[in-house]
Amino acid sequence: MNDTAGRHWLPQFCSLPTLFAVIVVAELVALVVVLTPNAPGPLLPRIGIVSVYLQWLALLNAVVLCSLRGVLDRLSPRSGLLLAWLVMIGVTALAAALIQAMDHALGLGLTGTDLGPVRFVAANAAICALIGAALLRYLFVIGQWRERVQAASKAQVDALQARIRPHFLFNSMNTIASLIRTRPAEAEGAVEDLSDLFRAALGSADASGTLGEELDRVDHYLRIEGLRLGPRLEVQRDLVALPRELPLPPLLLQPLVENAIYHGIEPLPDGGTLRLLGRRLASGIEVRIDNPCPATPARRGGNGHAIANIRARIGYHFGDRAALETVSGTERFTVVLRLPLESIR
Amino acid sequence: MKVLVVDDEPLARERLIALLGEIGGAEVVGEAGSGTALLEAAPALRPDVVLLDIRMPAMDGLEAARHLAALDAPPAIVFCTAYDEHALAAFDVHAIDYIVKPVRGERLRHALERARRYSGEQLRQAGDGAAGRQRSHLCARVRGSLVLVPIEDVAYLQAEDKYVVVHHVGGDVLIEEPLKDLEEEFGDRFVRIHRNCLVTRSRLLGLLRTTDGRMLARVEGTGTELEVSRRCLPGLRKLVKTL
Repeated sequence: MNDTAGRHWLPQFCSLPTLFAVIVVAELVALVVVLTPNAPGPLLPRIGIVSVYLQWLALLNAVVLCSLRGVLDRLSPRSGLLLAWLVMIGVTALAAALIQAMDHALGLGLTGTDLGPVRFVAANAAICALIGAALLRYLFVIGQWRERVQAASKAQVDALQARIRPHFLFNSMNTIASLIRTRPAEAEGAVEDLSDLFRAALGSADASGTLGEELDRVDHYLRIEGLRLGPRLEVQRDLVALPRELPLPPLLLQPLVENAIYHGIEPLPDGGTLRLLGRRLASGIEVRIDNPCPATPARRGGNGHAIANIRARIGYHFGDRAALETVSGTERFTVVLRLPLESIR
Repeated sequence: MKVLVVDDEPLARERLIALLGEIGGAEVVGEAGSGTALLEAAPALRPDVVLLDIRMPAMDGLEAARHLAALDAPPAIVFCTAYDEHALAAFDVHAIDYIVKPVRGERLRHALERARRYSGEQLRQAGDGAAGRQRSHLCARVRGSLVLVPIEDVAYLQAEDKYVVVHHVGGDVLIEEPLKDLEEEFGDRFVRIHRNCLVTRSRLLGLLRTTDGRMLARVEGTGTELEVSRRCLPGLRKLVKTL
């Protein structure tokens, strides 16, 4: 817990969601100020003026805190938050003093002519101190909560990844046992392929890898299934357009191919053709896995499980920039995986 | 002892056959790659034992075992499975034996010994063990062989005396199962239009009234119109409206 809290405990003021929260809070304060019973002048123009002023103050604070993030992050959460809070008060007081001076020089009377300059600045600083404390606390708690959720989903992801269909293991073992008698060389190859798959499956979810390695893993997997299913499995590949050196966590593609065989090719008496197509997009890559499937699903459950697992993991690694879509027709099932080209999280 | 080896994976069959060769006392009379192929071959080959994989395309081992029970001399069945907890539960006590893959020679010898001691009677119960699941085929005996009718091909079922006539795309066959059991097993697939008749819901085209006031149902893929009983009429009217 300590290291996660120490890493990025300060809210990202430059991020859009935080900025939005800051703007909303500023506008709420503006409305509260305007709606106080003894506020002078007509309502609508006052709302405009106060809003502009407070939004300007809020954004100014956000920009200052954002640029100070490097410094604040190095402190402990408590002193960092305290310093951030003091910085906010200081910035607000300075800005208020500046505005007050300008207003006074221009003689517009927007800051309230009947009050002295000290009173205006002090009031601004006090409001900022109260609202700022609440806002910082809120953003801090939200940040902590998000980190906890991320940690929890990562743990879940790890657990899910370790799952291999036991059926696949035992069937492969059976295949190998059969090959040893008649075709020892093929048996050897199958053992090597199976080992590679299990090495990836038993490794950590954070293990680094490349798209090329994953494609090799898919090949190894398909070789084993090819031995098992014989002529029932045909594979068409068009993957040359894919950048093999692209960093990619292991086992993002192989489970989708396994799905295609388990739910698609295997339950079909005559098997079918599995198509793997990869292409470059403007902003990333797209891998399309397309397989025939029985009109009525022959195998209960499991399918949504693997798809949801991959979806959760690409969400964890790439955020919104990756997507997994499924298109299920009556006799074909297609999975489209889109990944960004930039480095992973 | 005549053994029939059934598995959808050629290499798995190869290995079982090799193991049987080593054990001795067992003669492999044939192999099949699916449940339907097994049922086609079994009546002519008359095996004593069937080594049956559970997970196979088209028709799985559990259903094939159920249909085999219709034979005069049903073979003893030994299920072979890689890993399938649910399936193990499904045939549970009624199985002659089950072995897991990769099969050990010793284990296979043991299973064959058990099969030798048992008669075919147990299989009828083994078939019951799989009851409650919907079959993918109906199975009729015609002159000693088994005829399989995919359930999708069935147009309607009509009870006649102690038989039920299965009218399907390719003709009709007799099966010895009560209409009520079929109705229960397949649930929504069929709709009852008469005490003695179930029609495949998706093949129901519409109703028509004869000049003498009787109601008839038109069924896709058949030239005939079937009589609708007064009791079934209201429900059927509602169904036809949604078509």
